[in-house]
Amino acid sequence: MKLSLNWLKQYIDLDGISTDEVVENLTTAGLEVDEVIDQKKLYDNFVVGYVKERTKHPNADKLSLCKVEVGGEEFPIVCGAPNVDAGQKIILAKVGAKIPNEDFTISKSKIRGEVSMGMICSERELGISNEHEGIMVLDENIESGTTFGEAFGMNDVIIDIDITPNRADAFSHIGAARDLAAVFGRKLKLPELNLIETDEDVNSIASVEIENKVDCPRYVAKVVKNVTIKESPKWLKERLTAIGLRPINNVVDVTNFILYEVGQPLHAFDLDQLAENKIIIRSASKDEKFITLDSKERKLLDTDLLICDADKAVAIAGVMGGENSEVTNNTKNILIESAYFRPSSVRKTSKKLGLQTDASIRFERGCDVDGTVFAAQRAAQLIAELGNGKIAKGEIDVYPNAIAKKQVSLRIGRIKKVLGFEIPIKKVKEIFSGLEFELVSDAEETLVYSIPSFRHDIEREIDLIEEIARIYGYDNIPEIAKIGVSVERRVDHSSFNDKARETLSGLGFYEIITNSLLNKELASKYGNPVGVLNPQSVEMSHIRPSLLPGLLSTISRNIKVKESNLKLYEIGHTIRKFNDVINDFSDFEETEHLLFAITGLAETDEWYSKKREFDFYDLKGISNSFLKSVTNSDRVKIKYNQNSEEGIFEYSISNLVGKNKFAEGGKVKSSILKEFGISQDVFAFDINLTELKKNIVVLSKFNELLKFPKIKKDCAFILDSNIDYNSVVKIIRANSSNLLKNVKLFDIFESESLGVNKKSLAFELSYYDEKKTLTEEEVEKEFWKAIDAVKVKLNAELRG
Amino acid sequence: MLDRIELAEKNFKSEIESVIDLEKLEEVRIKFLGRKGLFTELFEEFKKLPKEEKPKYGQVLNKAKSSAQKNFDELKSKLENSTAEDKEYIDLTLAGRGVELGSKHILTQTLDEIKSIFKGLGFSIYEGPELESDHNNFEMLNFPPDHPARDMQDTFFVNDNFLLRTHTSPVQVRLMENSAPPIRALMPGKVYRNEAISAKSYCLFHQVEGLYVDEDVTFAELKGTLVAFLKQFFGEDVKYRFRPSFFPFTEPSAEVDVWWQQKGKEGKWLEILGCGMVDPNVLENVKIDNEKYVGYAFGMGVERIAMLKYGVGDIRTFFDNDKRFLEQF
Repeated sequence: MKLSLNWLKQYIDLDGISTDEVVENLTTAGLEVDEVIDQKKLYDNFVVGYVKERTKHPNADKLSLCKVEVGGEEFPIVCGAPNVDAGQKIILAKVGAKIPNEDFTISKSKIRGEVSMGMICSERELGISNEHEGIMVLDENIESGTTFGEAFGMNDVIIDIDITPNRADAFSHIGAARDLAAVFGRKLKLPELNLIETDEDVNSIASVEIENKVDCPRYVAKVVKNVTIKESPKWLKERLTAIGLRPINNVVDVTNFILYEVGQPLHAFDLDQLAENKIIIRSASKDEKFITLDSKERKLLDTDLLICDADKAVAIAGVMGGENSEVTNNTKNILIESAYFRPSSVRKTSKKLGLQTDASIRFERGCDVDGTVFAAQRAAQLIAELGNGKIAKGEIDVYPNAIAKKQVSLRIGRIKKVLGFEIPIKKVKEIFSGLEFELVSDAEETLVYSIPSFRHDIEREIDLIEEIARIYGYDNIPEIAKIGVSVERRVDHSSFNDKARETLSGLGFYEIITNSLLNKELASKYGNPVGVLNPQSVEMSHIRPSLLPGLLSTISRNIKVKESNLKLYEIGHTIRKFNDVINDFSDFEETEHLLFAITGLAETDEWYSKKREFDFYDLKGISNSFLKSVTNSDRVKIKYNQNSEEGIFEYSISNLVGKNKFAEGGKVKSSILKEFGISQDVFAFDINLTELKKNIVVLSKFNELLKFPKIKKDCAFILDSNIDYNSVVKIIRANSSNLLKNVKLFDIFESESLGVNKKSLAFELSYYDEKKTLTEEEVEKEFWKAIDAVKVKLNAELRG
Repeated sequence: MLDRIELAEKNFKSEIESVIDLEKLEEVRIKFLGRKGLFTELFEEFKKLPKEEKPKYGQVLNKAKSSAQKNFDELKSKLENSTAEDKEYIDLTLAGRGVELGSKHILTQTLDEIKSIFKGLGFSIYEGPELESDHNNFEMLNFPPDHPARDMQDTFFVNDNFLLRTHTSPVQVRLMENSAPPIRALMPGKVYRNEAISAKSYCLFHQVEGLYVDEDVTFAELKGTLVAFLKQFFGEDVKYRFRPSFFPFTEPSAEVDVWWQQKGKEGKWLEILGCGMVDPNVLENVKIDNEKYVGYAFGMGVERIAMLKYGVGDIRTFFDNDKRFLEQF
């Protein structure tokens, strides 16, 4: 909300307090200042000028060349406005002037060959309205050379504050002034009423009936007759334009003024448009339609509250009035509504209609139920003054169930328990009296306060403690840097992932973090995804059931910028649903995954290497090293999946603990890659971390170092080429004792010379005995036993 | 005999002078100093000489041989040393064999730094799910249904009861429901906000939540802890302010701003974190005695802090994962 400093000064004496101090103290009191605009500074270099001469621009039909005189000096100006003419008084933005809201500074320039030393401004360029048809032409009596600020009373400072949802009371100049009064220890000056009423009783003119007393606890109406609708006086227009409102007419302007003065939204009805001069507050009927002031037809629900006359609806309560009863230039008699609507009712309606107004924001946060009469009276007085109207006697005040003021107690000891320091009771009492809280009792170390009706946020002891801290100033609260050592068990959910990340960094992988929202079609290919009801766009409507799409998009984007050799990984959550309707956490599964992928070249052409593309064995090697680093790998089993129809891989290996598969990796199907515009191979490995962490405890145990020599033996077999490596190893192992510690394949050789469809596999077998030095004979025995088994079982031939 | 000794000496000298490598040197050694070498032959002859002639030649022969041996030793060590230099010439200016190290995402690195500071202060680390119930994300945290406070966090709803968590605070709820004070925990994770994607906002970001519940926790200690964090993270001379704010789950609530000044630009306050004393309603909701126990909580956005610290101007850069960006950290 925008505050005008000049306006604020009507309610609090700020003598001796600088603007900077006001700004700082608003912020430290919880009304955070977003922006401060000093009009004087804003309009530096904007001056009143006199157009002495206007000629056509020689090189452009739509431009004029003007000579503008400013206090004796003359400036050549090129102007594009159609209405510029000699003899006008205008506002000239001189060289160096900064155009408000546009972040653009006037400089000396040449426009189509003609020098221009400034710009003649439109209202929009001055930031005072949206008028941009032509330049603003001033009253000819204004002296040239006068600054724009002087000429238009632009000496205000505009302070834009953020109001948190709990502080409905601060949504007005008086509300903000009240906080400042409490902080500075000064008095809040409320406007005084001076009502001159006729003898005609308001009750004889109009009547109010509340049907829905729950949503409308109080409705106050006041009537002003014979009002002349006209332009508002300068002071009122200045107040409104200062905070960015457009003046309309004296009646509407007064209601807006009161809204920003005391925070009570008002509505002015044309009394003569109200059938039977009657106001009825009732719930809408289902599907009832209503045309609001903005000329839009709104469809309503029976939870919406309507203001009606004897025949028809005339306003949506607390949100917006209707066209059918608005104040026009022909209006004579006015009924002012000053009501209190139930906050959640207004909020529901405003949300549903997508219609948030200055009124609805205040009603939904809670207005001052006790302030309704004052607001109506003050509005009546101003309308009467500005429109020569006559105020009918009294007001209609329908308030069937008065809302009692809350009383809240504060135990003195609790202040220290929560805030951590002693604060003198005298200071506490000062703070509350500054905020207009009334002390009801003070006994047994407990203060009881009666809470003003505009403070909806104060209900409990802790709320009072917050008020103390807020007004005392958070900066004045000491910082206790004594931090106790905790003896409770430390838990670190992220330690496994931390280790995984370290390992992958060491393996040359970059971590990526991708958007977990995908479009439905894409997401659905990787699992049954959960959708959101209100996505920003259809491209981001479903939660990822897999990390793969994000990773492939990343690869694709990188290839486009010529970064095509990639080792990437992501750790993140994936979500898949089991049932279409989600009622419970068991209807979906949220699991944490780690996905890494390699693509492009493993080695590039360098002076020391030949280029080589990543292949499956790179992936397998990396996944082995990775799993070995983060798990006790002897429990992990491998399964080989050649030619899988299902799933995302052309071929893959899976890792299991017991029967639980927790990882799978392989060559990503090219049909999938094609969807991402990727034409190079991608090998990816996906680990379900949730599953992995459940099953595997990382426990590194020390193994005794070897004390006796290892004996290594080599052998090579000629085999049918469809026999895989693993079957050979299995047979070797099955036919060896535990002296055999390692089997290493060190060569694969395929050649016609071996015979048709034959290949040679060369192995190195390592033998070791923990207890003694092995003899050559023992090893020979073992070695030949294994060789014979391979020869027999796989029809192999021992080579060379 | 003397002549022959002299000749051997002379030949040795001339041959060793022409030696250029160890191979040739070895040939020379064998020829002169080896078992069947010239000097050895001379000694054999010397042995056969009559006793009285021995002194005449002995000294000369000894001298000649040891001088040859010395020459040989010197040259050998010289050759051995110089061989290394001459033969193994390498081009030191060539590029080294490339070893590409990867890296953690800069958001992870930033989070790690935050985590390590709070771990040092005694905080445990807890995580929780991203698809949450309205109950845990809002109701338990004192956001009543139809309350304007809900507008503070634009929410992606899955249905009336489930949503993508808008903050990491539901992890607090889960933790407090399942454990008894003292509880001191840091809860990092992804959170979602239904906002249009722009340079300044993204539909998701990473948050770190902190919680401490015990009998003697106070607002002053909250300030002390966070100031300790700010000083460790931003440097001892960091300029900060605590100002009142509003969060339904804390009271009193505060936001902490850090003064940010870039070279050649006007300084400004930037909001870094939100915090406050755990609202008694929240403690009541999780069945912790709110008379006996008091708590504080705080939360901060990792992206925002990383943007400040590393001068990243557009939040989308983090999620583009351009390798040229990733490899900078």
